[in-house]
Amino acid sequence: MNLNEFFEYLSAMGISRFARVFWFFVFFELIRYVVVDFISLNSAFMKKRFTRNLREEATYRFKLEQPLVSVIIPGKNEGKHIYKLVMSLREQTYKNIEIIVVDDGSDDDTPFIGKDMERNGFIDKFIRNEFRGGKASAANLALRFSTGKFVVHMDADCSYNRDAIFEIIVPFYEDDRIGAIGGNVMVKNYKDSLVTTIQAIEYYDTISIGRIVTSHLGIYRVISGAFGAFKMEAMQQIQGWDIGPGLDGDITVKIRKVGYLIKFAPDAVCLTNAPNTFQKLAKQRLRWDKSLIRFRLRKHRDVFFPNQHFNFPSFISFLENITYNLILNVKWYVYVIDMLVNFPSELKFVIYTNILLYTTVNYFKFLLFSLFRKYKNAPVSYFLIYIPLMVVYFGYFLRFVRTIAYIQEFFFKKSYDDPWNPPKSSAQAKKLGI
Amino acid sequence: MALENVKINALKGTIKYSSRTYVYISASRKIKLESSSTYAGIIIEGRNVEFVRMVLRRIRGSHNPDVYLKPVFLMNGNAHKDPLVAKLIDGVLNSFDQIPLIHDITESINQRKSELTFINSISFEAQVISKLMCYMFTRDEKEFEPVPYALSSTNYSFPFLACNYEPSDEYQIFDLLNTAVSEGLFSAEYLDRVYLCANCKSSHLSYRETCTKCNSTNTDSFDIVHHFPCAYVGPITDFTNDIDDKLNCPKCSKTLKHIGIDYDKPSVLHVCKNCNHRFQDFNVLAKCMSCTHDNPVEQLVSKEIFTYTMSKKGEDVALRGYSSTPKDIEEIIGTVKFETFKTVVKYEVERIRQTEGSSNVVAVNIVNAGQFYAKVGSNGQQAFLRDIVAEIRSSIRSSDMITFYSSEIILITMNDIPSKIVSRILSDILDLLKKLIENNFKDLAIDINGKALQLNLETTSELQVNELINSL
Repeated sequence: MNLNEFFEYLSAMGISRFARVFWFFVFFELIRYVVVDFISLNSAFMKKRFTRNLREEATYRFKLEQPLVSVIIPGKNEGKHIYKLVMSLREQTYKNIEIIVVDDGSDDDTPFIGKDMERNGFIDKFIRNEFRGGKASAANLALRFSTGKFVVHMDADCSYNRDAIFEIIVPFYEDDRIGAIGGNVMVKNYKDSLVTTIQAIEYYDTISIGRIVTSHLGIYRVISGAFGAFKMEAMQQIQGWDIGPGLDGDITVKIRKVGYLIKFAPDAVCLTNAPNTFQKLAKQRLRWDKSLIRFRLRKHRDVFFPNQHFNFPSFISFLENITYNLILNVKWYVYVIDMLVNFPSELKFVIYTNILLYTTVNYFKFLLFSLFRKYKNAPVSYFLIYIPLMVVYFGYFLRFVRTIAYIQEFFFKKSYDDPWNPPKSSAQAKKLGI
Repeated sequence: MALENVKINALKGTIKYSSRTYVYISASRKIKLESSSTYAGIIIEGRNVEFVRMVLRRIRGSHNPDVYLKPVFLMNGNAHKDPLVAKLIDGVLNSFDQIPLIHDITESINQRKSELTFINSISFEAQVISKLMCYMFTRDEKEFEPVPYALSSTNYSFPFLACNYEPSDEYQIFDLLNTAVSEGLFSAEYLDRVYLCANCKSSHLSYRETCTKCNSTNTDSFDIVHHFPCAYVGPITDFTNDIDDKLNCPKCSKTLKHIGIDYDKPSVLHVCKNCNHRFQDFNVLAKCMSCTHDNPVEQLVSKEIFTYTMSKKGEDVALRGYSSTPKDIEEIIGTVKFETFKTVVKYEVERIRQTEGSSNVVAVNIVNAGQFYAKVGSNGQQAFLRDIVAEIRSSIRSSDMITFYSSEIILITMNDIPSKIVSRILSDILDLLKKLIENNFKDLAIDINGKALQLNLETTSELQVNELINSL
């Protein structure tokens, strides 16, 4: 096949045939991830522009009240990161914070580091669990002893912009109905390897931009564990985190279920270290994707049923999530079969066209959406050369991982075997079906 | 044993056996210890341990070898069961007819004592080390062991040495023994370790777990409970109720059933009842029961306790006499050595023989100087002696000479001055020294006296100086 043949193939194709052959791209991906995102982004920024006074008033109220913010950092064997993190927290522009570190059964120097930092007044409280209980229990222990009006959950191996705490709390003053706010997580180690570079693009586009869109539409799904702020009264109402993995998405659902709004704060920036090998990345994504089945389809399936606690934003959020992750994942295989069965002779043209379409759209989105991004931790130009790889990453790698995760969780409940949680907790959760 | 050989003089309180006379001291019969030097040994009534301890401290704490090396025995009572007393006596008697049994011990001690050379030293530290070596030599002992002793401020008492220090100053013994070891007089073997108050160096410490914020000891402790199914974690009080003994999870309302299966207790939390602070690791403070200072444990002074063995060099030094430690300065500025002083006095006697002039020697005796020196240690003693010399110098002429006969006795020449004026100057010196001591040691009683001697031509200068010293 030469280039002329390819262009002839495309030019001979009418609109209806194009839509027939590339239905998956046109009707699902293009509409949802380009059209809807672009419209929503514009709408979000227009709204932001027109509600500037609201933002200014919220900032004023926040500065006037100066509420205590409890920063909780649960983790295991995080001693080496905690010192750096705490030192960076001392740089925060918002000062009225209490720092609570929970050591979840570390077997390294973490207890000594934590106790030393508490003794020297670098942190307000260091609580050590001799036996590991899992991330949720560690976070809950920190929550139990938090006295702030707001709780900010942080990961020890992340770092935060100087105004991160300020930026993540201000939106609470814009609307009293907000119960939780997610921070903007970006990839710190984007230069480490190809894997981290690709993830940096993903975080820029799908995650960061995606969250601005979903937040604007009221269907924002996951407040990242790396950086999330919660209203204390909301946390008391839902009584903290439930057992994971996938507890970040779970707590977002729980807060929305009790009637609060969930928002995304794009200006509250957190830098995280992304997995630097495909193996580690696959492991992380398997864990994330399993939680869709475990929490959306099992634990919180009541969201789909009209009952006295029915909550429309939760319903839409779940529907969008399931449609675009689970159903479209299945539909993609339907599309592949459709192509194999109905268009076997032009298969190579279909593949190349799809690659061309997706790559073009990826470039378009990346460049266009860059205009909406206020904070950039890396130059846009750095990533341009890697954009074509995103077709393989999104279209094949992530889809393949997602498929395995869904099968493992749907048929074998594999998330309960995840060593991310201690077996004692997983056994109980499995027994109770939660 | 024939009692008829033992002759008791109830009036004088003496017991004579085989040409040796012992003096008996009891709570109702006290004697001036200096006078005991004429007796072969001392027998103390052993019923009242505090009395025995007091007498023994005075005997062994004396700086007169005729006193501190004296064989001492206990008669009756249980005082010898006190570990300090047991180390400071040479035997126990149940009745006077057992005196022949202690005769050999007395003879041996006095015999070995006669082999020793005693050198007066300015250095209190050297004096005490010398005393210890002489004491051990006369008892034919090589080992010197501390004893666990609650009445000692350091919890370990170094029996003979402790008599030279106030109980609150016993920590100075550690430095003293280190000097003796570094001099090669003793070898040391590790025994134990004690921790001393950073403020007063007492080892009477009460270790307490306190709040990390306000240091209060008024705290409560709670188990932290982790409920596995819902990941709730909180103090056990969150799970208890007033109705029954069940533990119910406040988050999911389930009843906790089996530790390790559906819940566990991963840690303990302490709550301060004073400031309401919650914490997991107590702050440990050591309260000094002597001065009430609350010491953070990391600030306590750690001291190693050793048992000591006198070396061959130590024995030799004990025989030859020991006058200074390496830490002492050779002489105090403004003074001359005693030997030089004696020569000067000798020439002064010759001068007055030829010129018919007059010359005086004045002696000042700070009787309890050891108490002061024990408080301040070697460096403090040197500074204190320099102050004393400065005070004396301010009262005498630049041509007059000062020497230290010992760390307690100071001798001064005053030539061509009438006796009356000498007495007045001596009185001024004593007043000045009293004030100096009062200013430096507010809590100690001062025992100071002085005497002036007009030199005569009848006896030798050396004899006159010795008589003056002995008359103090």
